[in-house]
Amino acid sequence: MLLQMDSITKSYGSVTANSQVQFSLNRGEIHALVGENGAGKTTLMRILYGMESPTSGEILLDGKAVSFASPADAIKHRIGMVHQHFMLFPTFTIAENIVIGREPSKGIGFDRKAAAAETERIGKLYGMPVDPWKKVADCSLGMQQRVEILKVLYQGAEVIILDEPTGVLTPLEVKELLVAIKGLAAQGKSFVLISHKLQEIMEVADRVTVLRDGKVTGTVDAKDTNAEDLSRLMVGRDLIHISRNEASRGKKVLEVAGLSIKGAKTKPVLTNISLHVDEGEIVGIAGISGNGQSELIQAISGLMKTDHGVIKLLGQDVTGASVGSIRERGLAHIPEDRYQWGVAKDATVTENGLMGHTDRHQKLGILNGSGIRGMVSEWVSRFGIKTGSLSTKAQFLSGGNLQKLIVARELAQHTPFLIAAEPTRGVDVGAMEIIHGELLKKRDEKGAILLISSELTEILKLSDRILIMYEGQIVGELDAESATEEQISLLMAGGKAVG
Amino acid sequence: MDKLVQFGRSLMQPLLAVIVGLAAGAIAIVIVGGSVMETYAEMWKGAFGSFYFLTNTLSRATPIILIGLGVALAFRAGFFNMGSEGQMVLGALSAAVTAIYLPGSGLVKLIAAIIAGIIAGGIWSAFAGWLDARFRMNLLITTLLLNYIATLFAGYMVSYPLKDRTGSAAMAQTVMLDQSVWLPKLFKGMSLHAGFILAVVGAILLFLFMRYTVKGYEIRMLGGNPLFASYGGVQRGKMMLISMFVSGGFAGLAGSVEVLGTQYRYLDGALTSPGYAWSGIMATLLAGSHPLGTAVAAILLAALQTGGMGMERNTEVPLEVSSIIQAVLILFVSAKFTYSFIKRKKARS
Repeated sequence: MLLQMDSITKSYGSVTANSQVQFSLNRGEIHALVGENGAGKTTLMRILYGMESPTSGEILLDGKAVSFASPADAIKHRIGMVHQHFMLFPTFTIAENIVIGREPSKGIGFDRKAAAAETERIGKLYGMPVDPWKKVADCSLGMQQRVEILKVLYQGAEVIILDEPTGVLTPLEVKELLVAIKGLAAQGKSFVLISHKLQEIMEVADRVTVLRDGKVTGTVDAKDTNAEDLSRLMVGRDLIHISRNEASRGKKVLEVAGLSIKGAKTKPVLTNISLHVDEGEIVGIAGISGNGQSELIQAISGLMKTDHGVIKLLGQDVTGASVGSIRERGLAHIPEDRYQWGVAKDATVTENGLMGHTDRHQKLGILNGSGIRGMVSEWVSRFGIKTGSLSTKAQFLSGGNLQKLIVARELAQHTPFLIAAEPTRGVDVGAMEIIHGELLKKRDEKGAILLISSELTEILKLSDRILIMYEGQIVGELDAESATEEQISLLMAGGKAVG
Repeated sequence: MDKLVQFGRSLMQPLLAVIVGLAAGAIAIVIVGGSVMETYAEMWKGAFGSFYFLTNTLSRATPIILIGLGVALAFRAGFFNMGSEGQMVLGALSAAVTAIYLPGSGLVKLIAAIIAGIIAGGIWSAFAGWLDARFRMNLLITTLLLNYIATLFAGYMVSYPLKDRTGSAAMAQTVMLDQSVWLPKLFKGMSLHAGFILAVVGAILLFLFMRYTVKGYEIRMLGGNPLFASYGGVQRGKMMLISMFVSGGFAGLAGSVEVLGTQYRYLDGALTSPGYAWSGIMATLLAGSHPLGTAVAAILLAALQTGGMGMERNTEVPLEVSSIIQAVLILFVSAKFTYSFIKRKKARS
């Protein structure tokens, strides 16, 4: 056994994040770590990577007890981690990003050529070729992911921790990544894979360890289990399969006609976008991220100026109106990047929940504190948001719990129109079930929803109609009943619709 | 219980800074050959030793509190208003001019002078905000540079057009204000004036405003994450102008009460050389922009200054020791300030 974490317990004051956790890793193994948001996966891996020290328990590497005071320590012991959010310098080349910290030198200078050669060599060696001279800013997210993994390998890692590695990748990039991981494992590298995507785990993992509320609820061989069993271990009960009712469309809620945004670069950001969302339907927008979806959302919600075209909400022209007035007329918005748009990290759960609800909870400009707390605590119990208290700062909530708070806040606006952008990104299956259920409920109650997601399964599961965006244009519209994943993938990649 | 712990933690950093500051001062005292205990005892006496010294300290704290409150408001909204000095000076000059030239009874003139001071400081500050909103000029730099324009302009005004030519002394100052517009003293024979009450009420009002009103909430969210605020429908440009106006208004008020309560005229350099504006900014940083904390920190800083004078009067230790303590305080506080500034920058990009 290469690595063993023995009876790891970690508590923060009265909160126990990990309790008597056993975790082991063999050479050449891919060991998946799954669990709901806040189950303690990240804490366990932070302990392994030297970012936290355990309250009790020990880590054995090759049978010897070790303790890491910092990530640098962990790296020295050949443990590397690829974080969910990439930590690369966009203006530097791939080679420079990979050799950082241990640059090859010529005299006292940095030997760029040697760095590039070395980068090329390890890229080939590990079956993940890269162009060493390319700037990271010009790389796709899949390529950046590859650079992160190569960086860790360059540092000599034998054990590699991957935290939600496929969250931002396109379906094709996910496939490539999984092949690369398998190849590396065959060469003797060992992986800890944190993921919410049970299908992917079933595809690559050798063993799976499930955490719930900080405790291990099971370690199983992947070949002896299936996605249903795993979700039961994670959630502690069977998942309800959500069924969709027949759509009952009403009048047009959102109408966008001929919308264009020129943008600062040579290529236009949005070109002649026309779409409509009706009462009682979910319109899904599929597309690889960065093809204009973000700009479209921002234009509709009033956060970005448009160059041409008209946006109408409930028949009223809202083109160029302020965010506040558009919201007042009936828009709620689950933003795609929760940390950038969705919360203020230093503010409390209550304060973050209050945004957009101030009008309902004030009298002469004075906030009604108990009313607000009542509203937020109702969400906390209905959505199962794990938080210390209502005055816990948002930054201490796990990503999934924060997402639940944002979804609850926006649904509670009870607006006729809702933009749901990546509503379940980084959220566990239990929470995903709740969020999907709530979105469908809103649709059944005559709500109009514009869903933007890079997850095809989510688009297919929830949408009534599917639009596909590619390079700032809508390149296809499909009926959800008949659409297949292949059709959509092809259009997303810029191919032409077949049939 | 949790709240108590949290409260205790928020006090840790400033307390630590004060303790380290005093320790550094102790080293300086030993170096110049004084006795640490005796010197600090004299300092304490100079700041709080008698009713006279206490009111003297509070009177010095008055403009510092008001300035600190204004800066705290801007900081909370995410704007670095470094222009308190200029805003205070213009407020003071406007208050003096209004009190001298406006016809009417004493009380009318007094109230008009205070309002004029607030408006002058507010406009000067909002002007910097407008430059940022309209031309994307960095607020930190514009507010800082506008200080020079304001103080030199005020200096010119009292050296030429508004110069007091009644007395024999050739000072750059306006004529003395009529006694009817003076802010009343709180105690007979003491320097403490009604401006202190305004400052304390201002601190409490600002605290309540930030905590319990919709606008206060919006300002805090704007400071916490500007994108989040605009996503939620808060208008950044409008909010910036308003909070910069109020922020500068507090500085203008500070200048007004100094003129109406202490100097009774605008005297060039009387507000800038004691460094009220910078002490006010320091008080805000020390208190992490908490309005009530800012008031307490302002009194503490004023006590360091008045205490330092007491120390110089009664011991061989020079006044500079209290400057050393303040310098160490600034060092500690600015380390934290720079850190959070960098964090914000990162978050924005």
